[in-house]
Amino acid sequence: MTLHPGVHGPAARGGAVGLPAFAAPRRGLRLSDRQVGILFMLPFAAVAAAFIVWPVTEAVRLAFYTKHPFSPALTFIGLDNFRYIFGDPVFWAALRQAVIWTISSTVLQSVIGVGLALLLHQAVRGINVFRGLLLFPYMVPTVVIALVWRWMFNPEFGIVNASLHRLGLIRENVYWFSDPQWAMASVILLNVWKFTPFVVICVLARLQTIPVDLYDAARVDGASAWQRFRDITLPQLKTVLAVVVVFRTIWTFNKFEEIYLLTRGGPGTSTFNLAVYAFEQATANLKLGAAAATGVVILALLFGGSAFYLRLVGRQEE
Amino acid sequence: MRYETRQRLRLVAVYATLVVVTVVICFPLVWALVSSVRPNDEMLRLPPRLVPERVTAEHYAALLTGRSMYFEAAGGYRPKTSPPQHFLSWFFNSVVVSVGTTLISVGVSTLAAYSFTRFSFFGQRFISYFSLMGYMVPSIIFVFPLFLVMVPLGLTDRLPSLVLGYISITLPFSMWLMWAFFRGIPIEVEEAALIDGASRFQVFRQIVFPLALPGVIATSIFSFIVAWNDYLIARIFMNSISQLPLTVGVMHFFEGVHVDWGLMMAAAVLMTLPLSVLFMLVQRYLIVGFGAGAVKG
Amino acid sequence: MNRREFLKQGAALGAAATLGTLGAPRPVQAQRKTGTVRVWGEPGPYAGVAVEGMNEWAKANAPGLTFTVETLSWTDVYPKLMTDLAAGRPASCISVESPIAFQLMAEGLLEPVDDVIDRIGRGRLIPGAKWEYWGAWKGRQYVVPAHHQSHLLVIRTDVLKEAGITTSPEKWNWNDLLSAARTIKEKTKVFGMCIALGRTIATDYYLSGLLHSAGSRMFDVRNNFQVAFDSPASIETFDFVSELYPSMPPGALGYTFLDVVDSMATGQSGMVFYWGRVFGRAAEVNPKVFETMEAYQHAAHPKTGKRLNWNDFQGWLIPKANNPYIAEVKEALAYYLTHKDWPLRYVHSLVPNVSPIFQDVAQDPRLTTHPFFQTKRRTIFEYYVEALKNASNSGNELLEGINPLAGIVHGRGILAQGIQKVLIDKWSSKNAVKWVAAELEQVRREHIRLLV
Repeated sequence: MTLHPGVHGPAARGGAVGLPAFAAPRRGLRLSDRQVGILFMLPFAAVAAAFIVWPVTEAVRLAFYTKHPFSPALTFIGLDNFRYIFGDPVFWAALRQAVIWTISSTVLQSVIGVGLALLLHQAVRGINVFRGLLLFPYMVPTVVIALVWRWMFNPEFGIVNASLHRLGLIRENVYWFSDPQWAMASVILLNVWKFTPFVVICVLARLQTIPVDLYDAARVDGASAWQRFRDITLPQLKTVLAVVVVFRTIWTFNKFEEIYLLTRGGPGTSTFNLAVYAFEQATANLKLGAAAATGVVILALLFGGSAFYLRLVGRQEE
Repeated sequence: MRYETRQRLRLVAVYATLVVVTVVICFPLVWALVSSVRPNDEMLRLPPRLVPERVTAEHYAALLTGRSMYFEAAGGYRPKTSPPQHFLSWFFNSVVVSVGTTLISVGVSTLAAYSFTRFSFFGQRFISYFSLMGYMVPSIIFVFPLFLVMVPLGLTDRLPSLVLGYISITLPFSMWLMWAFFRGIPIEVEEAALIDGASRFQVFRQIVFPLALPGVIATSIFSFIVAWNDYLIARIFMNSISQLPLTVGVMHFFEGVHVDWGLMMAAAVLMTLPLSVLFMLVQRYLIVGFGAGAVKG
Repeated sequence: MNRREFLKQGAALGAAATLGTLGAPRPVQAQRKTGTVRVWGEPGPYAGVAVEGMNEWAKANAPGLTFTVETLSWTDVYPKLMTDLAAGRPASCISVESPIAFQLMAEGLLEPVDDVIDRIGRGRLIPGAKWEYWGAWKGRQYVVPAHHQSHLLVIRTDVLKEAGITTSPEKWNWNDLLSAARTIKEKTKVFGMCIALGRTIATDYYLSGLLHSAGSRMFDVRNNFQVAFDSPASIETFDFVSELYPSMPPGALGYTFLDVVDSMATGQSGMVFYWGRVFGRAAEVNPKVFETMEAYQHAAHPKTGKRLNWNDFQGWLIPKANNPYIAEVKEALAYYLTHKDWPLRYVHSLVPNVSPIFQDVAQDPRLTTHPFFQTKRRTIFEYYVEALKNASNSGNELLEGINPLAGIVHGRGILAQGIQKVLIDKWSSKNAVKWVAAELEQVRREHIRLLV
C-alpha cells in the first residue's frame, strides 16, 4: 500500500517527501493504513450501492418492462418502450427543445457569470455585501422563485409587463407563458437567474488565486483592460470554465423543477425537455416503463457527453 | 491628479454597476418581500404597484398561528384542517431532513475522499468516474424506483425516506467536492506526523480535517441547499400534509382552494430566510473553499 | 319541478330516511383498532368538514383511530394514486371526480358500498339524481355520493350592460354566446370569455360539456364502447372554441381551474364557465365584482337545444386492497352522512360549489341561512337544482351509461391536447379531431380488459 504519488500541494512544507508511511513505529493496537482506508471507504460504498447504484439499475431495468399502474405486476416487453418513445413526436420535440434550452442557458450563464465575477472581484469597500446579495438566487428554492415569477410575469397583473409598458418598451402585453417562444425564453431566463451564481462562485474563486503581479506587470507594459483580460485572465480561467460549463450543461439538460413549476412544459409541449417528458409518461400516461426508457436515453446522452468533455479537459491540462 | 480622478470615476462606475445589477437580480425577492405584507385587497390590483398602500402582518400571522385560509368573507363552516396550520410542521420537517442529509453525506464523503486521496485502491478510478456519473444522474430517473424501495422498508410518507432520497443526489456531489479539496491539501504535514508516531485517525482528526474545513463547510452548505430546496422527491415520497417539507407544502397555497399570493409570499420569505442567514455567515468559506478545491494545480 | 316543489317535496321521504337510520346497530369489532386513517380530498374545505364528522364518530366508537385529511390538487391525483397503489398503501378513503372513480371501479380496486347506501337511505336522493351517477358497475355501487358540482355560465351583469347586451343569458344559444363574448371584448375593457385551455384536466372538463351539448361522444356506450369521436359535432365544437378564443385572455392557453377563477374574481373577464367556487373567491377578494355576478345554465346548442354542463358527481371511494380500515371508513361515512348537521355543514362550507344531494338537507330551513342566500339566491339554486337537469360528464356521457375509460383520457389530457393542436399549432379542427379519435382508439385498445 503506497501513498498516492503526485498528491503534493503547491506549498510543500518540511523536507520529507514521499516517505513511505510504514516506516513509522507503531504503538498499541493500530489499524494498518490499508484497513483505515477501507474503513473510511465503507460507509460511502454502502450508501452509494444502496441509494445510487441500485435505483439507477432498477430504473434501467424498468425500461424493458411494462408496469401496470395500479398493481405491482411487471411484464417483460423487450424494446417496446423504446419503440414507443422513439415513435412519439413529442419525444423528439422534447429532445430538440432540451438542446436549445441547455445551450442557451449555459452560454448565458457563462458569459454573465464571468462578467459578474469580474465585477465582484473589485476590491472596493462593502464588496462582501454585494457578493452575498448577488449570490442569493442560488439559495432560493425553485418552488418559491417559480411562483413569484408566475406572478411577476403574469401578462395582466405582473409587474414585468407593467414596467415594460411604462418604460415604453412594449405596446402590447407579452404573453410570457402562453406563447411557445416566450415560454422558452422565460424558462431560460429563470434558469440563468438561478444558476449564474454557481458560475460566479467558481470563477471568482479562481480569480482570487491569480497573482496580482501578473496584472501589474502588464499594466506597466501598457496593456489595456481588455488586453489584460484577454491575455491574463481568460487563459487562467480556461480550466475552471471548462469544468463549470460541463457541470452546468449536464445539470441544465436534466432540469425538471425549473421548467415544470413555471410552465408545466407548456404551452402545449413547447417547453418540454426529456425530464419533463419522462415525468409526464409516468404520472399522466401511467407508463412507468416509457419513463424509464426515457431515463435510459438521458443517461446514455449524459455518459456520451461527459466522456467527451472529460477527454477535452484532460487534454487541456497537459 | 488625473490618476486620482480616474480612480474615483472608476469607483463610482463600479458601485453604480453593482447597484444596478443587484437591483435587477434581487428584484423578484424584493417583490416577494413587499408582497408578503400587502393586504389581500391590493394583491391583484391593476395596474400593479411595487409599494403597497397599507401593510399588514396578516399573512405571517396566518402562517405562524395556523389561521384558516378559507373564505373569511363568505361565511359558512370552516374546518380546522387548512394548510397554514401546518406551516410550522413543514418548517420543522425541512430542517430535520436537510440537517440529516448534510450530516450523512458530508460525513460519509469526507471519510471516503480522504481515503481516496491518501491510499491506493483497487477500483479507485472506477469510483472516481462513478462519483462523476452519480453526480450527473437526474433525480427524475431514480425517484420512482427509489420510492418502491421505501415500501418494504416501511418508510413511505416518513421523513427518513426523504433523507435517503436526498443522499442519492448529494453524495456523489459531496464526494467529488471533498475529493478536490483533499487533493489540494499537501501530504507533507501528515507524513511528518506519521513519522512522529501518530495514527491515521489522529492525523485525520487533528491535522487534515482542520485544513479541509473550508471544503467541509462549502460541501455542507451545498448539501443543505439541495435538500432544503428539493421538490420532486418530496412530492412523490410524502403524502400526509403534516409530514411535508416546505417546498411541497407551499404549493398548497397555489394549487389548493385558491391561489393565495399573500400566504405564498410570506411563506417564500420565511423559507428563504434560514438559507440566506446561513449563506451570509459562511460566504467567505464558500469562495475560498471553492478556490482551493475546484481548481487543480 | 320548480324550486318550491323541490324544497317541500320529499320532506316525508327525507324524514323517513333519517328516522330509518337511527336504530341501525353498530358493529362491535370496529372499536379496538388504532392508527391514522388517511382520507384524500380535492382542494376545498368540505373534505375537511367530512373528516371532522368522521372523527366525531371515531371519538365515540373507535377512540384509537384518527381520521386525517390530505388535500390533493386535481393534477396531483393521478401521480399520487399511482405511487401509493403501486406501493401498496392507498389512502383508506378517497374523494374524487367520477371519471377517475369509474376507472378505479372497473379495475376492481374498490370496495362495494351497497351496505353504506342502505344505511344512508336508498330513497334519500334529491329528485333527478340516481345512485349510479356517482359510481355503479355491473350491478353494485362502489361510490358513496358526497355532493354534486356543476360548472355554469357565470356572467357579470355590469359588463353585459356596458356592452349593450340586453338579451338574458337564459335564452342564449351558442351564436348568442359568441356574439356576446365578441361584443364585450370590443366595447369594454375586459375580455369576453374565459375558460381553461391549458394542458390539464380542467380543459378536458370544459370541452366535455360543450362536446356533449353538440351531440358528440368519446365512446359509444351502447356499442361496446367503440370510439365515436370523429364526428361533425366534435369538429363543430372545436371550431366553436377557436371562434371563442379571440375573445379570451391569450394566457388562457396555459390556464387551469384556479386561473379561471381569478380571471373572473379580479375582473379580467366578463364571462367564465365555472363551478360555484368562483363566487366565494370573488366575495373574498373583490366584493364589487361579486355583487354583479350571476350564474346561468349554459347557452343552448342551436340544433340540439342542449345546455349540458360538466358535473363532477363527487363521491367517496374505498380502496379494497391493503386497506386495514374498510369497516371503520364505512361506519364513519354512514355516520357523518346521517347526522344531519354534518351534511349541512359540508354544504355550507363552500356555497354554492357544493350542491346538496339528500332531500332532508335540501329542505332543511337552515340551508338558506348562509349569507350568500341574501344576494345570490337565484344563482345558488341554478347550481343546486337546475344544473342537475343538464348534468353530464365524460365518464357518463349524457348520463347514458358509465364508461371507465374517461379517467385515462383525462389523465393524459387528450382533449386538452386536441384543442391545443388547433389553437397553438394551427391544425384544422378536422385533423385535431382525427388525432383525438386515434388517441382514444389507443386508450381503448390498451384497456380493453376493463370493458369486458
